[in-house]
Amino acid sequence: MHMDKTQRGWAFASLIIFAASTVGYVIYALSATPAPSGGSVVGLFFGITGFGFMIFAALLGARKRVPVWRLGRAQAWMRGHLWLGLLSLPMILFHGAFHFGGIMTQVLMWMLIATVGSGLFGAVLQNYLPRTMTTDAPLETIYDEIGNVRTLLREEADRDVESVCGPLGLSHGQTEEAQRAGGFTAMRPLAAAAGARGMVAPAIVASTSTAVAAAPEIILLTEEESAPLRSFYVNEMRPFLERPGERGQALSRPDKAKLAFTGVRTMLPAVAHSALADLEDICDEARQLRKQEQLHHWMHYWLLFHIPLSLALILLGAMHAVMALRY
Amino acid sequence: MATTATPPGLVDLVIDGKPVRVPAGTSVFDAARMNGVTIPTLCHLQNETPVGVCRLCLVEAGGRVLSAACVRPVDPGMKVVTNSDKVLSARKTVLELLMSDHPTPCARQQHSGDCELETQAHAAGIKQARFAKRSVARGRDESSLAIAVDHDACILCDRCIRGCDEIKNNFVLGRMGKGYSAGIAFDLNSPMGESTCISCGECMVSCPTGALTNRGVVGTAIAKTTDAQVFDAEELLQIPVFKGVSGTFLELNTGAIVKRKFRAGELICKEGDFGSTAFYILEGRAQVSISTPIAHVKTDGGAKGFFKKLTSSLVSRTEDKRDEERRDRTIPIDASVDLNYGSPVAELGAGDLFGEMTCMNFYPRSATVRAVSDVVAYEMLRNVLDIMLKNKSFRAQIDANYRRRALENHLRGVPMFADLAPDFIEHLKESVELQRFSPGQMITRQGDPADCFYLVRIGFVKISENYPGGELVLAYLSRGDYFGEIGLLGGGVRTATCTALDHVEVVRISGDDFRQMIERFPTVRAGLAAVAEERQQANQQRMQMLQTVPIDQFLSQGLMEAQSLLVLDLENCTRCDACVNACADAHDGVTRLVRDGLRFDQYLVATSCRQCRDPLCMVGCPVGSIRRRNSLEVIIEDWCIGCGLCARNCPYGNINLHPFEVIVDDPEHAGRKKAAIKQKATSCDLCTHLKEPSCVYACPHDAAHRVDPKTFFSEMLGQGSTK
Repeated sequence: MHMDKTQRGWAFASLIIFAASTVGYVIYALSATPAPSGGSVVGLFFGITGFGFMIFAALLGARKRVPVWRLGRAQAWMRGHLWLGLLSLPMILFHGAFHFGGIMTQVLMWMLIATVGSGLFGAVLQNYLPRTMTTDAPLETIYDEIGNVRTLLREEADRDVESVCGPLGLSHGQTEEAQRAGGFTAMRPLAAAAGARGMVAPAIVASTSTAVAAAPEIILLTEEESAPLRSFYVNEMRPFLERPGERGQALSRPDKAKLAFTGVRTMLPAVAHSALADLEDICDEARQLRKQEQLHHWMHYWLLFHIPLSLALILLGAMHAVMALRY
Repeated sequence: MATTATPPGLVDLVIDGKPVRVPAGTSVFDAARMNGVTIPTLCHLQNETPVGVCRLCLVEAGGRVLSAACVRPVDPGMKVVTNSDKVLSARKTVLELLMSDHPTPCARQQHSGDCELETQAHAAGIKQARFAKRSVARGRDESSLAIAVDHDACILCDRCIRGCDEIKNNFVLGRMGKGYSAGIAFDLNSPMGESTCISCGECMVSCPTGALTNRGVVGTAIAKTTDAQVFDAEELLQIPVFKGVSGTFLELNTGAIVKRKFRAGELICKEGDFGSTAFYILEGRAQVSISTPIAHVKTDGGAKGFFKKLTSSLVSRTEDKRDEERRDRTIPIDASVDLNYGSPVAELGAGDLFGEMTCMNFYPRSATVRAVSDVVAYEMLRNVLDIMLKNKSFRAQIDANYRRRALENHLRGVPMFADLAPDFIEHLKESVELQRFSPGQMITRQGDPADCFYLVRIGFVKISENYPGGELVLAYLSRGDYFGEIGLLGGGVRTATCTALDHVEVVRISGDDFRQMIERFPTVRAGLAAVAEERQQANQQRMQMLQTVPIDQFLSQGLMEAQSLLVLDLENCTRCDACVNACADAHDGVTRLVRDGLRFDQYLVATSCRQCRDPLCMVGCPVGSIRRRNSLEVIIEDWCIGCGLCARNCPYGNINLHPFEVIVDDPEHAGRKKAAIKQKATSCDLCTHLKEPSCVYACPHDAAHRVDPKTFFSEMLGQGSTK
């Protein structure tokens, strides 16, 4: 979610609530005898309000489970989650009069701080990372499809190399007929986006055949001429396409990749340059997919910490409330 | 022999040292052959006029240069040497030159290992040609269903030309071009499939290389089933509908046509199934029907309460009328009859052909056909059907059936023709012309004079207009649709180009008949004029749109005609897929949205129906149930049979199949019902039953927006339009 002017309403309302609560707490703290505590009326008010905010924030998860129920736009719920979740921290601090109390309350306080902290961390990530992903990985695909796209890229690279070097003796998948793999269809001509054309109406194939990306032109080089490309592909590029996340891969860095391709280009006759350019594109796309994967992990994996922690917080908070009120 | 006088009319000569006597005028080649001396050749066949173009039969005949034996007549006292070093060396050079112009191995060598050129080259010890290979390919022609032409493998021996002209007297094949571009040509260099070639197969039989090869029987599975009776060519030629078909062709395609017997009640073919055959009923009656409910998918429920779950159900047009829904009374199917909307059942009998579109274009079966009485039918593959449709008597019979049984329904299926008087229909039955067009063939050209009106009988016709930025597809017309009225009613000029997308057959109503019709029936005139005006207005709107936005960008991105786009702001989108989940939740778990698609700056135009400029989804629908409203939105009519072709054709994956459990007739037990899963195609309906599309409503990050593309992109591109 972008932290922009659309957040102004919620930010303003939260600020007012925070200011009013602070004023209330200061007055209460100055006038309270004995010292302010969570068990006083005002302390309980802050505790109930803070816990209410926490529950509202936690309900976002439940709201997402029923996306078409007309319970208010998910966007409003998300804003409420962010701002009220944030406000729950000062409320609970006011509730405990800035004392962490016994073991149970200490645990609760640290859990709350960790939950709010992780939430803020996540909000910051989700504010910046989408932009980074959009810029750095323009060929991103659906996350779950990354593996398939990589396979297609590998097969396409194999075909490109074999069109210049002859058979490499590599195993090929089922998708020989697939067009250029990967990424959003934005970068491809419309007809190519149709992908495998096996079951597509023949009329469509006929009508769009000119727009379909042509299969690599076969320009076989002699063994001697193609040796540099063959060696580069087998030793560097294919391992990178197979295991892009592995450390020490020269092609995982754009600058080194550029150098490597320039080097190979100088050793190849001009007729093979277009195939090499295609290979360079494939490498670039594979790098982008790797980048997308990394950013996706950053963007979503913090939730593995935030969600269980917040659920535990709600549960323990409820236990604390019952125990405190009852005993 | 030398001591006796040579009888009149005979010639004495010596071949390889052996004295021989042959009739005057005999070629050296034949003289040698008659006396047991074999001279290699490629271009010469005994039953064809010798032309001496391959020069492989070179011999020393006493002249200054070597002679081609096939065209050199014998002379008295001639001394012929067929195997001297000089001759062998020259032949080897000829073979090397021919091989340099021939792909090795060619298709024939690959399949049967009997390419004459390669066999001879191998025998001469030629493994690698000394000469450079041809650098410019002459290409392949696979337009014919029966014969594949590989111009690169052609050695210009002319055997095919002589076979076509001298043996079969078809005069379709000839030579074209000069030098490196020389080759064989069909008619005036038309693709073979579009030429007047009748696929008799003589050229293929004559060809010494893999230049003309049999495309083979496409999927011989029909001949492998136990109940299929395979014919040989002799038997087939005795059957009346095969009279006039080439025996050579039938021999080469044994197994591509079988005779089947179906018991009463037996299923012949099922709607939605992919197939590759057509059926010609010889005896008996069959019922043709659609078992998928004649209804469309309606999603409802969410707007009435917070917790009411949305559900999708099948409703007919009588229960739920949609805007611009067709009120057709008939459903077009792939047979000589149409089905009635209210009761989609009809009967086929002896002499009826069905499955033509499935066979010729590989579209799914449009209806279920079941034997009513015992049925005997020919089941045939594409190459046989094609050759049969070229057979005049068969063609005439099929056309007569169509005129007699379906043309009236077909005409009346067009709402504005519903009121035509019976006598005029009878007149049209006699006067209309039935025309066929091959894939890619232009039917009318934008700007040409308009002289007739067309009704689509089989196949798909692409209607397009040319704009400065490119071609814009206005529509795909299928069976039951019509075109050509704007030109006839307006300025007499075609306003769009109409092209056959596959094997198309149209009913051509001449300009005179058309004018007579609109004069005699004012309602027809009014109806046609209204449609023509509507179409022209839609075209004008498009033109205005084209003038206000940068056409190249919109055309290239396919967004120009979209009515409403789901746009994701990628700078806000955390790729959480809440939009996709919401779409699935709103449509019984079947999402109509995939978070992928075209990118435009920071915006992703997500995969949800965008009413493309070239709506490929509409091509191939076997029952013509997917089309555009005038507003360009896609509408799927009630008679969708759920075959899924539109879903496969949509390049953006925007059409989905929604399964429903319905009660249908049990094919195993006549008269009983059973539950079955039937599918209906669906596309994004923008959640019109809700105030806001579910995908947008469920996005927690303010990333999903439904936008009017024209306004949105114009603003983004700085065109000054307001949002």
